[in-house]
Amino acid sequence: MSGDARGWHVALVPDALINPPEALRASLPDVLQVLEDRKYGVLQLPPPGTHGPLLAVIADQVAEYAHHGYAVVAIGVRGEPGEGLHWRRLAPLLRHRGVALPPRHLLRPEAPATAEGQRLANFLTGYDLPAEQQRRWRV
Amino acid sequence: MEQDKPRKVALVASCLLNQNAKVCQGARYPALVSPVVQALRARGYLLQQLPCPELAFAGARRWWAVYEQYDTPAYRAHCRRLAQAIAPLIEQYLRRGDELILIGLEGSPSTGVRFTSSKADWGGRPNRPQDDWEIVSGRGIWIEELEAELARRGLPPLPATGWALDMGRVDEAGAQRDLEQFLESRDTAAGTRADDKAAP
Repeated sequence: MSGDARGWHVALVPDALINPPEALRASLPDVLQVLEDRKYGVLQLPPPGTHGPLLAVIADQVAEYAHHGYAVVAIGVRGEPGEGLHWRRLAPLLRHRGVALPPRHLLRPEAPATAEGQRLANFLTGYDLPAEQQRRWRV
Repeated sequence: MEQDKPRKVALVASCLLNQNAKVCQGARYPALVSPVVQALRARGYLLQQLPCPELAFAGARRWWAVYEQYDTPAYRAHCRRLAQAIAPLIEQYLRRGDELILIGLEGSPSTGVRFTSSKADWGGRPNRPQDDWEIVSGRGIWIEELEAELARRGLPPLPATGWALDMGRVDEAGAQRDLEQFLESRDTAAGTRADDKAAP
C-alpha cells in the first residue's frame, strides 16, 4: 500500500482511558500518547451502561480488521466494571463473527503511572501477527 | 462535583482516532491524527469516537469512492443502523447538559461536514487518473444520516466542522488553523452563554 502511513495495529480502549475521570487521571499513564508512539489506532469502547447495538457495531469493525491482517489488542483497567471493555457482551459478539479474542492487557491504577505506561508500551511493541499473515495482507 | 458539571465533548470521525479505518492509500498518519487530538484535549474536550460507516460496509480493502457511489438505499440503511447505535450515547451527553461538537472529515463521501467528494460518472474499473473528482459543498452521507437520526429524536443540531484530510491535497497547517478557529468560536459562544446566565 504505497504512500500509506497506517500502522496495522488497533487497540480496543475503554472510555475511562481516553477520557479518564479525575479520580483516575493521576494514576494512569497517558494511554493515547503511548498508543500513538507505538502506532496503534484506537477503537473506543463506550462508558459503562447498556450499549448493545453500539457494541455490535464495534464488533463488526473488529472483525473486519482481524480478518484482514491487522493486529488487534484490548486494553482494560483493573477495578473498572468489566475492566472498561464490556467484555461479557463483547466477547460473544466477537466469537459470533469468527474473531479470536484479542490479547488483553490490564492497567493497574494502584501501580505507579510511569511504570504502567512502560509496561503497556512493552506489551504493544511485543505483539503482532505472525510474519506469514503480515506478508499476505500488508502490501 | 465533577460528575455533575457540564462537559465539553467532541464527537470525532472514527479515522481521526484510527487511521487504519482509511481507504487503501488514504492513511496519512500511522495511528491517530495527532493535531486534532492535541487541539481538542488542550481545550478540555472529552473524545467520543463515531463508528466508521465505510469500513463495516465496504470493508478494510475497499476502493476509493465518491458521494454518488455511496448514495444507495443499502448504504443509507447501514448508516442509519450506526446512527441508531450511537445516538443514545449522544442523547445522554446532551440530556446532562454537556456541550457537544462534531468533527468530521472534509472531502469524505461519508463523513464530510462542509465538503464532500463528487463525480457523477465514477464507476466500474477504478482506473481514473488522480484528482479526477470534485470537492463540492455539502455533508457526506454518514453525517446526513446521523444528523437526521438526532433530529428524529428531537435533539438540536450540533456545531460541526471537519479536518481537511480528504480534499485531494493535504494542507495540515490550513486544517489546523480552521480547527482552531472553530474551537475558538465555540469557546467564545460558551463564554457568552455563561455571561448571559450570570447577568442579573
